[in-house]
Amino acid sequence: MSDAVISGARIEAEAGARAFLHRNPAVARLGLVVLALALWELAGHTVLDPNFLSPPSAIVAAMPRVLGDPGVRSALVATFVELVTAFVLAVALGLAIGLVVGLSGFARRATLPLVLLLYSIPQVTILPLFVLYFGICAGSKIAFGVSHGIFPIILNVVAGVQSVEQAHLTAARSMGASRLLTIRRVVIPHTMPSLFTGLRLAMSATLLGVLLAELYVSTGGVGYYTRIFADSFDPPATFTLVAVLALMAVVLNEAVRIAERRASFWRTHR
Amino acid sequence: MRLVPVPDVTTQDAISVADVSHVYVRSDEGVVQTLNAVSLNVRKGELLCLIGPSGCGKSTLLNIVGGLVSPTAGEVRVHGHPVRGPAPKEIAYVFQENTLFPWNTILDNIKVALEFQGVPAAERQDRAKQAIEAVGLSEFANSYPHQLSGGMKQRASLARALSLQTDILLMDEPFAALDEQTRTYLGEELSVLLAATNKTIVLVTHSLSEAVFLADRVVVMTARPAEIKATISIKAPHPREPNFTTSPEFSDLRNEIYALLRDEIEKTVGGFVGRAAARDRERRAVAGERRPKS
Amino acid sequence: MKPRRFDWHARAIRVGFVLALLLFWYYLGRSGAVSAIFLPQLPRVAEKFVQILQSASFYNNLAVTLFELIVAVAIASLFGLTIGYLVGRSRYAVLVFEPLLAGIFAVPIIVFLPVFMLFFGIDIESKIAFGATYAFFPIVLNTIGGISQVDPRFITVSRSMGANEQQLFRRVLLPAALPVIVTGLRIGATIGFLAILGSEMIAGLRGLGSRVANLAEGMNTAEMFAYIVFVIILAGMLNLTLSTMQSRFAGPRNAS
Repeated sequence: MSDAVISGARIEAEAGARAFLHRNPAVARLGLVVLALALWELAGHTVLDPNFLSPPSAIVAAMPRVLGDPGVRSALVATFVELVTAFVLAVALGLAIGLVVGLSGFARRATLPLVLLLYSIPQVTILPLFVLYFGICAGSKIAFGVSHGIFPIILNVVAGVQSVEQAHLTAARSMGASRLLTIRRVVIPHTMPSLFTGLRLAMSATLLGVLLAELYVSTGGVGYYTRIFADSFDPPATFTLVAVLALMAVVLNEAVRIAERRASFWRTHR
Repeated sequence: MRLVPVPDVTTQDAISVADVSHVYVRSDEGVVQTLNAVSLNVRKGELLCLIGPSGCGKSTLLNIVGGLVSPTAGEVRVHGHPVRGPAPKEIAYVFQENTLFPWNTILDNIKVALEFQGVPAAERQDRAKQAIEAVGLSEFANSYPHQLSGGMKQRASLARALSLQTDILLMDEPFAALDEQTRTYLGEELSVLLAATNKTIVLVTHSLSEAVFLADRVVVMTARPAEIKATISIKAPHPREPNFTTSPEFSDLRNEIYALLRDEIEKTVGGFVGRAAARDRERRAVAGERRPKS
Repeated sequence: MKPRRFDWHARAIRVGFVLALLLFWYYLGRSGAVSAIFLPQLPRVAEKFVQILQSASFYNNLAVTLFELIVAVAIASLFGLTIGYLVGRSRYAVLVFEPLLAGIFAVPIIVFLPVFMLFFGIDIESKIAFGATYAFFPIVLNTIGGISQVDPRFITVSRSMGANEQQLFRRVLLPAALPVIVTGLRIGATIGFLAILGSEMIAGLRGLGSRVANLAEGMNTAEMFAYIVFVIILAGMLNLTLSTMQSRFAGPRNAS
């Protein structure tokens, strides 16, 4: 009797394609994306006005033309360089500031309210100021990106420094460690996990800052080309540009995610 | 091996479980059988305890009786009708963890339960108040669950179950999360309640003392896949006095149940004690010492 | 005791900082060390600030921006809450859709602004659509999270007492998920506002952001500063309103 019951359950568990999809939501997701693309393609040939939106096939067809233009290529490369530079600067500066603010109780009480105040300002409103002060070249875009990305780093590092358990600090001190040594051997390793958590937020923020600035400046860079393509009613070109930028964002986000995972593999899950 | 004869359904039975088996599929374990051809009857007005090693399937059996889980084979009948899903008018639940809604006061919690059951709005207030008074929580009717202690929360859960005025109460380790003192005290209260209301109660527990103190019958279950190992009757009438726990009858019953459980527990826990003792003996034999077997 | 003291302390620091900044700005302007194009003098900006508060064009722009915000958040909430509820109720749907939505949101949606402008033009429709899209994601993600993470024991016990789907929603799912959902709405409104400002600035005809961009282009720095100050104040007011609404709906008694 037992065997019949067990085999009955097994049979039910393995029935058909529906069950396969059930056990593999990732496949279902992929299927949905493919379906959406297919519908888009269909709509592009029937419903959509080619002046406003184009089907995926037209976009792919336009890619060589658009990406072949050296001006477009250099604008995209410049954007990528700005993104990486801004991110690295944001992390470096954020780490330094975060450590200083976090380690000194006085510094923390004095400056943390200010950091939070600055963080709460919608930075998009002062974008024109950045362009005014840093010009229309890469400088303003990098600066705007840093200005966005630095805050999650500072806040996470400060939180990380503060979370170092008093017990560890006392233990280090009782073993005769100097303040500097304590910082190197106890505080910094403890802060690393928080830093890495902040990296992802920082990358999102940096992406936002740099891309906002790029799109705002319509006299050069990516912003110039988006304007040109929009004015000349060239949807496939616009889409191509957007697609490449989106790809950049995905790649950078993934890179940070992998770095975060590599750095935390030794951490036990609490 | 079954020590209990296949039961007949009689009009005395509130619940009858016939040849119930349960199986589930887990991606990492494959097919797991929790219950194997379990049969038992619960008579009207009796308190039946299910006791067995951890993870053996007692809660699953309770959930099958309550209609929350379907058996893979076999049938459960409540008051003669087959169970096909939850039966809110006949069965009420009390769970181990607190399932009171934290966003409602105690009074509102009970009123919502009555709303679920389909009680007309006009009656809800009074019935809720009655239930709260029955467990002695009138003072806390307008408090929120997070303001109450663990014992009080379980009493509130009990009040909610009682307010539904069902004939049958299913309790899944209701006092397990409480400290021993509160647990003992609430057990005594439950005994008084049972005597007063003539409800049929099935209670799953880990605690031997609790089982012996509360139950009219104790059903001992084996390790997974669970079967019924033995059924022990306890003749003392309800409400049971606190000094019942110090009587020789109590100790005997407790020991009897433990003896039955011990093998099953060993299967679950892995027999640490047995294996350690065996290793010890081996070591001594190798060292040439002669010791009497423990 | 300690948090309250820190709060007073923090507030004093912030106020002190702002005052010091204003003083520094005033004296810097007076000294003539910085060109008025880069940093207009404080009295001039204050004067302009008062002026714009009396100008019709300012109120028109303010109305446009607020209108865009309200409509965008309304659309985002409608779609976000409904889809979030439907997806959240099914464990499988959560597994399929949640990573998809989270993945799309991980790409900064600002990137798609040119597409919105292509399709909707550069007037308020594109701002509303863009703002609504940006706001949609935190709302739907939080609603999915809130609904799907309702302690299943609450659902089990409700079912055992005879609750139907509608009762389950009103009495269990909604109150249980409300704090998370309200947080999502708050985040949605906040970033919706930023998205609208940003898109107005990048390419817009009307609205506060467009005005700031126009003033920047015309090197009309004093008035631009005045507008920027106002927008910062507006953002602060918006934040305060949202935070008050959030405390009302996600009160302490929901902590279980």
